[in-house]
Amino acid sequence: VTTSDHAAWVDCAGAYVLGAMAPDEREHFEVHLAACTICREEVDELRPAAEALPMASPQMVPTQALKDRIMAEVEREAELLAQAGASADRPEPARARRSRGWWPPSGWRLAPVAAALLIAGVLAGTALDGTARDGTATRSISADVKAPGASAQLQVAGEKATLVARNLPAPPAGRVYEVWIMPKGSATPRPTSVLFVPRGDGSAEAAIPGSVSDTQKVLVTDEPSAGSDTPTGKVILSATTT
Amino acid sequence: MGQDLRSLADEDVMQLVRRGDARAFEVIYDRHSPAAFSLAYRMMGTRAGAEDVTQDAFLSMWRSGARYDRARGSVRTWVLGIVHNRAIDALRRATVHDRRRAGDEGIEERFEARERTDVEAARHEEAGTVRRALDSLPADQCQVIELAYFGGFTHTEIADMLDAPVGTVKGRMRLGLRKMRSQLGEGQVAV
Repeated sequence: VTTSDHAAWVDCAGAYVLGAMAPDEREHFEVHLAACTICREEVDELRPAAEALPMASPQMVPTQALKDRIMAEVEREAELLAQAGASADRPEPARARRSRGWWPPSGWRLAPVAAALLIAGVLAGTALDGTARDGTATRSISADVKAPGASAQLQVAGEKATLVARNLPAPPAGRVYEVWIMPKGSATPRPTSVLFVPRGDGSAEAAIPGSVSDTQKVLVTDEPSAGSDTPTGKVILSATTT
Repeated sequence: MGQDLRSLADEDVMQLVRRGDARAFEVIYDRHSPAAFSLAYRMMGTRAGAEDVTQDAFLSMWRSGARYDRARGSVRTWVLGIVHNRAIDALRRATVHDRRRAGDEGIEERFEARERTDVEAARHEEAGTVRRALDSLPADQCQVIELAYFGGFTHTEIADMLDAPVGTVKGRMRLGLRKMRSQLGEGQVAV
């Protein structure tokens, strides 16, 4: 590697490990990297910092519906692969372990909006089935919603409940909806950390913390954006679990 | 799913994935999808965008499991690298207008993110260490790293945005990452 070769790429290691190069520039840099010890050492030094960056994101849990979509495709392809007999020592193919009568044919791709609607459909479908895929009993509880045209249900699977709302109006400007839980034997709603704003189409889903059997009522009010410890806004919906 | 599969190390599970074992792939998905989805969400700004990227990335891993090379790092790093590349592709396909709009839509869903943050408490400390290392950088270094890594912008786009020379932007990236690296310490944050 000549000095002039390296001079053209000085300071590029950071941009490279951050993925901040255009594709053709990246390809050229990788050719240089194969021959330049200085740049390779610098890339090796900086890479762990770049690889730690995902941890700086707020940690979230993807929906079960997303996993179902991905695994449906994976299992379909695994079965095709097994039928093709591509290798003799392949493990026993994964069986279609789940009933997916309501699932669209494999090989589909969804636009983001359609995907969001489908997630809602999955939640509703779970309740209608009467049993979740892991065999847990499910039920659906209608909520009393104080908004014209809006509806909401608590989808209960075992001890876990999810609030699923449709056509919910946006909360007043600068406010969000907060979920409250009324424990059994108490007349005082307890605040939760669940704050949400419906999507543009009025749909919203929120996981209800705690155990359903310990809860007599779930309420939602509008509150300041940081949430409140005691309700200050109007009750937009409520659902009695017993 | 058998407990024996769950008890295997990632690298051993990947041997099975390579041979087309869907149950093994499910183990990898369960272990790494929260981090993958979190990164995708941070980059795309909306749940729908993050789900598209996560789905594309995991299906790509399933179809190219043979490309995982344990000599080049952990399965987690491999997974997050693919998610990062897919998100960059998606962001670069969008116009700047779309990218800004996606960010605005994301504001609504970040309320959900706050709730989700409570769910994965085990990773909070690790996340906090990285966040503190990033926040401790001079603002101009932190800015270019965030725009590049999470925003998917190239160094030349960032230079245009900030009206700064390209060399300056690249220098800030390198200096910032070097400082982060020394703050995180070797082995302190496992990725």
